[in-house]
Amino acid sequence: MCELSRRRFLQALAVGGAGSLAACAGLPRKKTGGRVVVVGGGFGGATAAKTLGSLDAGLNITLVEPKARYITCPGSNWLFAGLTDLLRLSVDYRTLTEYYGIDLVTDSVESIERERRQLRLTSGRMLAYDRLILSPGIAFNWDSIAGYTPEVAELFPHAWQAGPQTVLLARQLHAMRRGGVVLIVAPPDPYRCPPGPYERASMMACWLSRHNPRGKIIILDPKRGFSKQALFEAGWRRHYRYGEADGLIEWHSLADNPITQLDAQGRTVISDFGDRFSGDVINIIPAQTAATLAVAAGLTDAGGWCPVEPKTSRSLFDEFIHVIGDAAHFSPMPKSAFAANSEAKACAMAVIGLLREVEVPTPSWLNVCYSLITPEHGISVAGVYALDAAQSLVAVAGAGGLSSPAISGSAELEAGYARSVYRNLLKDSFG
Amino acid sequence: MPRLLLALLCLGCGFRADAEVDPALLALNCLSCHREASAPAADVPALAGLSASQIRQDLLDFKYLRKPATLMSRIAKGFSDEELRAVADYLAQR
Repeated sequence: MCELSRRRFLQALAVGGAGSLAACAGLPRKKTGGRVVVVGGGFGGATAAKTLGSLDAGLNITLVEPKARYITCPGSNWLFAGLTDLLRLSVDYRTLTEYYGIDLVTDSVESIERERRQLRLTSGRMLAYDRLILSPGIAFNWDSIAGYTPEVAELFPHAWQAGPQTVLLARQLHAMRRGGVVLIVAPPDPYRCPPGPYERASMMACWLSRHNPRGKIIILDPKRGFSKQALFEAGWRRHYRYGEADGLIEWHSLADNPITQLDAQGRTVISDFGDRFSGDVINIIPAQTAATLAVAAGLTDAGGWCPVEPKTSRSLFDEFIHVIGDAAHFSPMPKSAFAANSEAKACAMAVIGLLREVEVPTPSWLNVCYSLITPEHGISVAGVYALDAAQSLVAVAGAGGLSSPAISGSAELEAGYARSVYRNLLKDSFG
Repeated sequence: MPRLLLALLCLGCGFRADAEVDPALLALNCLSCHREASAPAADVPALAGLSASQIRQDLLDFKYLRKPATLMSRIAKGFSDEELRAVADYLAQR
């Protein structure tokens, strides 16, 4: 089950040669003047910049991102099963700058001066915009679990922004004592990547099944249920003895008694009512909000996310600022890389329409999220989203939903598609 | 009155506005997954080289469950036949 060789997996994962640059060539390429600044070089920001560049050669497009390379959260759970590494999850912005005319500014935003429609960057540079697209991602709510701070997270990694913490957590798992316990403290809704904690448990179990079969993963969840639950649980039963005493994965809903405290010294997490759970490896994924930049600019609501008008992704608090990706409130769409990519495309078309002062086209959004239970067992959830008569975002009735076990060979096919869609989405977003 | 009731029932339960979706935007969403294939058996099929009528027929077959698929039926059901025709034409002309 977990025997697919690393080499075979990597072959399937390798990004194919260039040659997809013409993919957007059929779209109308017109020229509009206007300065669009995109902040954040993740899936949302990169796709927005690229789509703007491919649709309108006359725009002045700047992408502001502090890091030279982006490490993708999608695929990062595969590291726990030893199937990939950070280098293979990394992408740079060269295609965006060389082929799509994007001006890349390697800097971060100090503040948004909304009245003047300009950004103050950390370097001191000022950037003016006619339209600003924010795709800044998430921040963690460090008040949600007492004793869990950014410093402590360097020892007990959240690994929820792919990077060094992902590697640290994988090392901790791989070095765990025989028969040890991994605790995953799952976050409350809404958060980045709803199926993520459960794919993570799957990939960790895949490692344990081969290298530490008496080990155990215990998920402590503040929710009563989770994304793709029936598919995950069926997969865990099939591969990891889920529900049996010696099963590799246990899931506990602590909805009325969530984890509220970490005793780092004792390697123990403590619930609201004082129940204690000790682990050899502890992965706490804290509650989340929109990134600090969005909060500081006054673009978030009481829930901590950025409310937008779905049709244009314009902030409800600033008509010249669009917010997309995990930071934006696009419910019922989930906070996923695929959703961010789809939001970015609709946003780019809306921005061009607004700059040209023409009707913004009626948008449609798509989300597809694959998860791996083993390297050869994939599952998915999909959704088609549209505006209803009141211009609210809705999941289109009758469409979307979970993988059907009735489709013959579905698990194996979807494992292949998981890698293929990862590779294609990466290319579609970053060039 | 029944009409009003129906309208109220439709709020928030996923009924779409009447406006047809821009085929260019639909096509962009198709291309998130359907790019070039490198290992055909395990990959999402590429659309390059397919005619508008082939793409249209496949989309309608997925929508009406005449052709099995792991994912595409779930997607195709989200669009009107007219939208599927328009996006097929658009994709074939790329």
